[in-house]
Amino acid sequence: MLRYLVRRVPSAVLVLFLASVLIFAIIRLIPGDPATSLAGSDASPEAVAAIRHDLGLDQSVPSQYLSWIGNVLTLDFGQSYSVGGEITSLVADGFGNTVILTLSALLLAILIAAVVGPIWATTRNHWLESAITVVNTISVALPTFVSGVLLVLLLTVIFPVLPSAGIPPDGMFARLDITAQYLVLPALCLALPVSAVLSRFLAETLRTELRQPYVLTATALGVPRRRLLLRYAMRNALPTTVTVIGLQAGSLLGGAVLVEAIFAWPGIGQLIEQAIGRRDYPVVQVLLLLSVFIFVVIQLLTDVVHALLDPRVRIGGAQ
Amino acid sequence: MTDTVQTPTRPAADAPTAPEQQLPTATPAAATPAAAGPASVTPAEDVAAVATAPRRRRVLLHGRGLFGLLLVGGILLLGLFAPLLTPYGPTEQIPGANLLPASGRHLFGTDEVNRDVLTRALYGIRVDVLVVFVAVPLGALLGTAAGTLAALIRPADVAVQRIFDVILAFPPIILAIGVTAILGAGITPIFVVVVAVEIPYFGRLLRSSILTLRELPFVEAAEAIGASRWWILRRHILPNSAEPLFVQLALSMSIAVFLESAMSFLGIGVRPPEPSLGTIIADAVSDLDTAPMQAVGPLLLVTGFVLGFQLIAQAVGARRRI
Repeated sequence: MLRYLVRRVPSAVLVLFLASVLIFAIIRLIPGDPATSLAGSDASPEAVAAIRHDLGLDQSVPSQYLSWIGNVLTLDFGQSYSVGGEITSLVADGFGNTVILTLSALLLAILIAAVVGPIWATTRNHWLESAITVVNTISVALPTFVSGVLLVLLLTVIFPVLPSAGIPPDGMFARLDITAQYLVLPALCLALPVSAVLSRFLAETLRTELRQPYVLTATALGVPRRRLLLRYAMRNALPTTVTVIGLQAGSLLGGAVLVEAIFAWPGIGQLIEQAIGRRDYPVVQVLLLLSVFIFVVIQLLTDVVHALLDPRVRIGGAQ
Repeated sequence: MTDTVQTPTRPAADAPTAPEQQLPTATPAAATPAAAGPASVTPAEDVAAVATAPRRRRVLLHGRGLFGLLLVGGILLLGLFAPLLTPYGPTEQIPGANLLPASGRHLFGTDEVNRDVLTRALYGIRVDVLVVFVAVPLGALLGTAAGTLAALIRPADVAVQRIFDVILAFPPIILAIGVTAILGAGITPIFVVVVAVEIPYFGRLLRSSILTLRELPFVEAAEAIGASRWWILRRHILPNSAEPLFVQLALSMSIAVFLESAMSFLGIGVRPPEPSLGTIIADAVSDLDTAPMQAVGPLLLVTGFVLGFQLIAQAVGARRRI
């Protein structure tokens, strides 16, 4: 396992390094001089030069990169242009909300897939299969913001049973039943495409497994069908399904930007959207790097879990 | 269902790189070349490679393939013939028509600055047409070229692969935000994002396709009788990769429609007053309780467009595994 990690971790670090250089370059490529815009239009050249020195813009580009990445690694993200506060605390606030949202969505998606997948793989009812197929195909195709707007229309406008946007007024953990009311729509909206992809993949993998010779043998030996499906086939379907869960978890962050915009959920996605609108580039920079970091780490974790579940992968990695 | 799934033994076969070889969205309809390749190159099918085109057309003439084709075709026609279908202009302000509900005169109603929402939606389709039929093929071309380069020239392989990894490390919407930070909102960042997102998909597809195919006996045979690299690429590799490429193209088109409308929805895409389905939906959200058709109409168009391309991809992708 250690050898597998030794092989796998450096490539993740390399990708992160290249991405951080790219993100650093993005801010350099933006037209306009941050020092001039900070100082205002009628500032003296000396004042601009002073700000330039404060921001470190008079140093060479590589040393600017080093000091930036050094600060980021020590979680000192600098000051926000527009809000004026510490970016670190802004990010910390948003990050918690986003984690709550994406984890609930992922959990919901896995739950849905765990129920729909096996039913879909084994049903002999033509109508049920067609119904699942149609719903599944539409769920995959439905863009997040489309399902979001439809959910708002259905459950807050036509049948006003749920709050349409925002977070619980008394905080996330004050009353869990109220939190659930605020959470269910955004989480469902975010979970829908993921659950559709997962159920389809699980059903397909289970079907392939159920055609394997060992299933035939087990059937002949009298293993009950339910046990065959849930113990034998499911166990073999798990490693690849975990990979797909990981890939989908990585995509949740992109979806969260849209979902948070629709449901006014004050997370990372909303922060980055506001930062772009206000041209608050230090915030954009940090959030871009953060999302790439999360994505790469999730991929790494996925591969590690896959290797743990499937010995063939880690033995292959050791060779 | 008949979509591609890697058999669980496969990740073991190509060891730790297996997760990387899966398409990053993990859309199951995407034919991964590792799974699809071997099935496609039975000798009989290679001989019958010429017959591929007619059969592909047939698969789009019934079932979900036909439905997808009709959806995409219908929406394309609506966009192209927008000037004939509506008496108004996309930015024309109609006197006295403020926030009208849906009616016979204005099927989707009118917005808060007296514009006909149906007209704007129809003209909004045109941006997607541009993105789908210009940006996606461009990204496919660049990706295919990069993938071929990676597969054929060993030193280039590592560099190209890492570039793909870096692009894939950015979730598309996050990438869109980064690109907009440099270029500002507009149609240009949409193009850049769609092209950039497509490159690694097509690159990986073609790279693994070439690596799989060139181990097969008929390619070896062609090498043995002295065929040139270029000839083998043209005669054997590309025809045998055509179908997964076509599936990926259809999928990428659905992703492109999604990206355009999502970026415009977030306000980092098409700039008002130019119409785009995404901006219309974003504008309509605040009036959901009084004028729901303003949002629902464009929503149906976006969904139909995305769904249509996915159904085409599924139909073509499913056929090759029967």
